[in-house]
Amino acid sequence: MIPLLRRRPTAGQPRRLTLSILRCNPADPASVPHLQDYELDEADGMTLFIALNDIRAHQDGSLQFDFVCRAGICGSCAMLINGRPGLACRTLTRDLGDHITLAPLPYFELIGDLSVNTGKWMRGTSERLQTWIHSTTPVDLDALEARMEPAEAEAIYELDRCIECGCCIAGCGTAQMREGFVGAVGLNKIARFRLDPRDQRSDADFYELIGDDDGVFGCMSLLGCHDLCPKQLPLQTQIAFLRRKMAALGLR
Amino acid sequence: MTPLNPSPERHDLLAASTAETTPLAVASVASRAKPGKSRWPARLDLLQSLSGLLLALFLMAHMAFVSSILISHDAFYTVARFFEGAYFLGKPYPILVSGVVAGVLALFVGHAWLALRKFPAGFRQYRAFVAHKNRLRHGDTSMWWLQVWTGFALFFMATIHLYQMLMNPSLIGPYESADRVWTGNLWPLYLLLLFAAELHASIGLYRLALKWGWFDASDPNRSRRRLRWVKHGLSAFFITLGLVTLGAYIDLGRAHAEHAGERYVPASQSAPAASGRH
Amino acid sequence: METIHTDVLVIGGGLAGLRAGLAARKRGQQVIILSLVPPKRSHSAAAQGGMQASLGNAARGGGDNEDVHFEDTVRGSDWGNDQEVARMFVHTAPKAVRELAAWGVPWNRVQQGPHAVVMDGQRVTLTESAAAHGLITARDFGGTKKWRTCYVSDGTGHAMLYAVSDQTIAAGIPVHERMEAVALIHDGGRCYGAIVRNLIDGRLLAYVARATCIATGGFGRIYQSTTNAVINEGIGAAIALETGVVPLGNMEAVQFHPTAIFPAGILVTEGCRGDGGLLRDVDGHRFMPDYEPEKKELASRDVVSRRMEAHIRSGKGVASRYGPHLWLDITLLGAAHIEHKLREVKEICHYFLGIDPARQWIPVRPAQHYSMGGIRTDAHGQAYGLRGLFACGEAACWDLHGFNRLGGNSVAETVVAGMIVGEAIADFCASPDGDMQVSTALVRETWAKASAEFSAIADNRSSEDANQLLRRMQTLMSEQVGIVRQGDQLAAAVAELEQLIQRCRQVGLRTTRAGANPELTTAWRLQRMLKLAQCVAYGALQRTESRGAHFREDYPRRNDAEWLKRTLATWPDGEPTRPRLDYEALDVARMELPPGWRGYGARDAIEHPATALRQAEIEAIRASLGNADRHAVQQALMPYRHLLPPHLRGLNARIGEER
Ligand SMILES: Cc1cc2nc3c(=O)[nH]c(=O)nc-3n(C[C@H](O)[C@H](O)[C@H](O)COP(=O)(O)OP(=O)(O)OC[C@H]3O[C@@H](n4cnc5c(N)ncnc54)[C@H](O)[C@@H]3O)c2cc1C
Ligand code: HEM
Ligand code: HEM
Ligand code: SF4
Ligand code: F3S
Ligand code: FES
Repeated sequence: MIPLLRRRPTAGQPRRLTLSILRCNPADPASVPHLQDYELDEADGMTLFIALNDIRAHQDGSLQFDFVCRAGICGSCAMLINGRPGLACRTLTRDLGDHITLAPLPYFELIGDLSVNTGKWMRGTSERLQTWIHSTTPVDLDALEARMEPAEAEAIYELDRCIECGCCIAGCGTAQMREGFVGAVGLNKIARFRLDPRDQRSDADFYELIGDDDGVFGCMSLLGCHDLCPKQLPLQTQIAFLRRKMAALGLR
Repeated sequence: MTPLNPSPERHDLLAASTAETTPLAVASVASRAKPGKSRWPARLDLLQSLSGLLLALFLMAHMAFVSSILISHDAFYTVARFFEGAYFLGKPYPILVSGVVAGVLALFVGHAWLALRKFPAGFRQYRAFVAHKNRLRHGDTSMWWLQVWTGFALFFMATIHLYQMLMNPSLIGPYESADRVWTGNLWPLYLLLLFAAELHASIGLYRLALKWGWFDASDPNRSRRRLRWVKHGLSAFFITLGLVTLGAYIDLGRAHAEHAGERYVPASQSAPAASGRH
Repeated sequence: METIHTDVLVIGGGLAGLRAGLAARKRGQQVIILSLVPPKRSHSAAAQGGMQASLGNAARGGGDNEDVHFEDTVRGSDWGNDQEVARMFVHTAPKAVRELAAWGVPWNRVQQGPHAVVMDGQRVTLTESAAAHGLITARDFGGTKKWRTCYVSDGTGHAMLYAVSDQTIAAGIPVHERMEAVALIHDGGRCYGAIVRNLIDGRLLAYVARATCIATGGFGRIYQSTTNAVINEGIGAAIALETGVVPLGNMEAVQFHPTAIFPAGILVTEGCRGDGGLLRDVDGHRFMPDYEPEKKELASRDVVSRRMEAHIRSGKGVASRYGPHLWLDITLLGAAHIEHKLREVKEICHYFLGIDPARQWIPVRPAQHYSMGGIRTDAHGQAYGLRGLFACGEAACWDLHGFNRLGGNSVAETVVAGMIVGEAIADFCASPDGDMQVSTALVRETWAKASAEFSAIADNRSSEDANQLLRRMQTLMSEQVGIVRQGDQLAAAVAELEQLIQRCRQVGLRTTRAGANPELTTAWRLQRMLKLAQCVAYGALQRTESRGAHFREDYPRRNDAEWLKRTLATWPDGEPTRPRLDYEALDVARMELPPGWRGYGARDAIEHPATALRQAEIEAIRASLGNADRHAVQQALMPYRHLLPPHLRGLNARIGEER
């Protein structure tokens, strides 16, 4: 028995899709944000990556958007798909209606059309939160590596999976209101390094980084981050966990 | 300008100081001065939750007491006298109720003040949030918005109610309350207050559980779905109970309208003929 | 013209570039890294399978060491690689893994006691030793004798890239994102940096540097079906080629991956087969044992890819609207294993195919995967042809991989080469060679020339359409310069590429846009990509033998007598449509492992006259050393340690192996 590909019943004609794309070019002072419609025929297994590239190749070479891996692992292609943040490259058009609205992620600096500068913000956040292993133990490259429980390594990877796509920021009402908020991506990173035994920082050190209303106490548990994270990171539990740890310091 | 990364000056700083042997990432662990950031944000967050929790628990208890009218007039009467300390001090001291009210009021004001920090500050933030919420169509985000508005409404409505309770602590009883509700025209306020308070409190409790990671169990997503059901359940239960109770007060108030102002005397203390329901 | 000065300019923010930049930075050099995209989005993040290093911790890795890794690598390369480089590499790889572990990479660890795995379609129980508990474990990955591939579930590249990138942030190294190097500044003898295009506002800047390092990754996008990211267009290699003096090595050596999901081309990891997944044809028949009775699905990638294509050609493919494909069956691994160890695969199947791999078979077909070729460098990463120019990672032909790279050896190469080349760059900068006198006229002229190239396209309104030419090139490459190659098809491809190269000079734009117009970017890159494609096609046409991933149906045997040499392609200014090819002989007399049988595939290579001599010499050396330890024997056969930076020369500790 050969399992077959799941296919929608071939209803003859492919669907005609309309993509309304929010266009704006900050490099051009005369440009104002406006929706522009593009039409194209749907194909089997069409993703927004395929659709947008088709439009750029055949209809409008000036359309700006970002794809790198086109496989849902690099975090480049986050955009608002019918108003919700998501990775365009792994969104199948068959899961959407005939009319699809695309807009750039809010909050981040707009580069043009669907392209935003998430990278710059993420680097800034990394610097601010010092998201790297802090250790004073020198590394001996010739010696056996330090041991670690297998389960612990897997738990760290669980949080390390963030791809810095920015969906959690775009999905967070707090971030929309308060610019300095580190967001779920930042908090998750702290949780990740806190969990890592190789990082020698204490909770008091972490408090310095996120112990205020721009950090963990700024989160209002709106959980857009948790529900929209394309990597399904356990953001709700991690933020809650950090909140407990950081609040405990307040009791001292 | 070129899209340089945020800190070119930092680069220069390091250029001067790098030694070949030190792993660069390390330098900062020990060097940070210990007493740094204020602990108050942590405390305020705890207080916000604590005040919310206490208010919500109070509200549940409060609904239970108030709805004792559904059992019988005497039951409600007993509860009211109980809070005036009648059963351990020998006679009722309404001032005690005023004390409780004052306490609740303080908690309430404190909670409101703490929560106000989370309100959109200014029109820009307000607009940003509304646009975001409308775009996203996301349950928990919209729920927060409801919480803000109900909280805001509570601030005014509950204040009136609390003021009344503070000033007239002795006027709590089947007739007294019913007269206030009906003859005193307070039922529209209570109606709104009921919805606002119950929605706000149950969303608040739900958020509290998620915020601090209570009941996470093995599958947090499933326990969140459960919590959401519990939340809906709480709202529904207390709103229904409140509506029925309010209905009872209105009934009683209308029946008792001609005698408005007359105080209730429980059956045990009066002639059997005068007791019972009207 | 804005000019930025720095000691070291690293072009490329993938694993190789970041690690090299970090090494130079730690030696006190001022470093700037350029990248087309934020560095953590580089394609290094896509490596799912893992990184090879002979730690020997896992039960199935017991007895592994540098020697075994070395042999696997040389055999894998079909003797096309540089054995000294391979030695440097296998020696440093364990250090690299351990360094990464200290930097936070959550490598999967050994769990002592028995655990069940699927091998060769059978359930087998392995018992891990208590002594290894908590050390870094390894999995099986095609083409190796031992289980040597260290991994982080199936996000190895991601975890590595994030850890290294975080280190560069810690070190305060600026990464200028969304910047594309478009020309090297050089005077024919020395490199002085690069002209760089800002991909946000479209402006050109000059970066003047004492040392320049190209680490721009692979060029898979010259093929239609590729597992590579859309930014892997090979511009870094192309601008080196355009200097006219820097050769690209072995460009015809292109690897295809057997299991890219069909038709999207997204890779599902080798780990699927390593863990016990099977390949099936239209009848559901497991066909690999028919061709490769010994290694079956786990033969090296080139072999598996070729067998798959051959099987499809024999009419056993599954027909579909996009063409034929085969099936990858991992259902037998069980839902728990897939959920746990192959989650990324599960996600890919879910999001891009809408299937559940625990219950359904995955449609797969080979796709371009890795470019062994690239900027030819010496063992220190110094490019041929221009002083002050270095290269590392997939963009380089350091020549670790020869004609076929082993799975897991390339992310390992990126960090290892980064460590070594970064040191070499720092040495260079610290030496008198690193001093530089650059004429501002040269910088300005290079800038003006690059600027003119963009204007020529932007101002052209001809109907020649870059997208159309690009697609044609990609189809041509996939169909005629693909897995199975043939003289006449290659000749036709070369001829058509010549036409395309002519035509691409005429491309015009249909849109205008302030800032960096994507249409202009595509058109400009197309001109460079065509040159790379021509290097591949022309090199493949000339190489009348089969070696590693380069398989000529008309010359199916490996021919050491004539072709034990590296292709060097340069593109001098005078050459309009073809590169100039030179060849660099590999010296059998210095090899530690003279050419022989790979241990799989046909055993019919045409022998090099010096092979037997060298073989005898090696036996004599071994005999004379008697019971000397393996390091001493190795040292006598082919010393390499002097090529390494001093701090990387120490012996690697292993459980049960004295240091
Ligand atoms: C799907 C897939 C899976 C793989 N799995 C494995 C595996 O399991 N194990 C393994 O060992 N190997 C694997 N590989 C191979 C391995 O991932 C790559 O060879 C390796 O990561 C390349 O790293 P790099 O640093 O050389 O280049 P990349 O990571 O590709 O980085 C290139 C960098 O150069 C920049 N750049 C490019 N051009 C320019 C320019 N003109 N100007 C400025 N910057 C530029 C880019 O922005 C990017 O930052 C896999 C490859 C693919 C495609
Ligand atoms: C009967 C009275 C009230 C009850 C039972 C109540 C209960 C709660 C609870 C349990 C919470 C969750 C606490 C937390 O998130 O830490 C909460 C939050 C909140 N309350 Fe109240 N509250 C009451 C009155 C008010 C009033 C008067 C206001 C406004 C003026 C208000 C505004 C808010 C706001 C904005 C939040 C959300 C805070 C956040 O998201 O962090 N509440 N409330
Ligand atoms: C200590 C403080 C309080 C006391 C003593 C008190 C007492 C009472 C009493 C006696 C009633 C019956 C009606 C009446 O007598 O007027 C009532 C009704 C009500 N109270 Fe309070 N109350 C207090 C605080 C609050 C608070 C903080 C809230 C909500 C924010 C609240 C919400 C309500 C509502 C909604 C009703 C109507 C009940 C119904 O619909 O059944 N009360 N309260
Ligand atoms: S936490 Fe999730 S949503 Fe946020 S950046 Fe990381 S992967 Fe994206
Ligand atoms: S959406 Fe925002 S408010 Fe907190 S729970 Fe997530 S960060
Ligand atoms: S392009 Fe990489 S996640 Fe979509």
